[in-house]
Amino acid sequence: MNVSGEKEVLGMSEAWCGLKVGQDVPDFKLEIYMPSSASFGEISLATLKKDNKWTILFFYPADFTFV
Amino acid sequence: MSTDTKFVHLAWQKEEKLLENVTYPMGADPAGRLSRLFGVYDEETGLALRGTFIINPEGKLLASEVNYYNVGRNSDELIRKLRANVYLSGRSEEVCPAKWVEGSKTLKPSEEMVGKVYEALK
Repeated sequence: MNVSGEKEVLGMSEAWCGLKVGQDVPDFKLEIYMPSSASFGEISLATLKKDNKWTILFFYPADFTFV
Repeated sequence: MSTDTKFVHLAWQKEEKLLENVTYPMGADPAGRLSRLFGVYDEETGLALRGTFIINPEGKLLASEVNYYNVGRNSDELIRKLRANVYLSGRSEEVCPAKWVEGSKTLKPSEEMVGKVYEALK
């Protein structure tokens, strides 16, 4: 859990049925594997916002299957 | 991203030839926290459905699409939607009509356009 952990949890429980378009996404943080550097790391929405980046979240059921 | 761990992501990316040119980060959501936030977590299986979401630099969710397990997505359509959203940021008076692609005509909704979208698109 990070510094904004409490806020994160609150945002998630409020949105248990899924965020709707037009809503602000609560900050999140996740562990990543970065293929370009073959290294592990971490990414957060706060950092992406600070860097003025657009974000695409692309969920799929499982590694080793089609996406 | 999926509910697999970063270790499995590494193993898959190294093994699967289709992924050899991947440069984007592969996110791990083993506890399903982010999957639940976006409404794609399947409590029965512990897996995430095929959800695709576009978030702008201000952190607002602008596009959302969820497929069931058995149908894959079309990255061309995803890129089209991303380009439309990028184009429209800071252009609140314009809209991108159906099938809009970069460089094609946008519309500026007004009193004059009511019932005249066909003419406006010409």
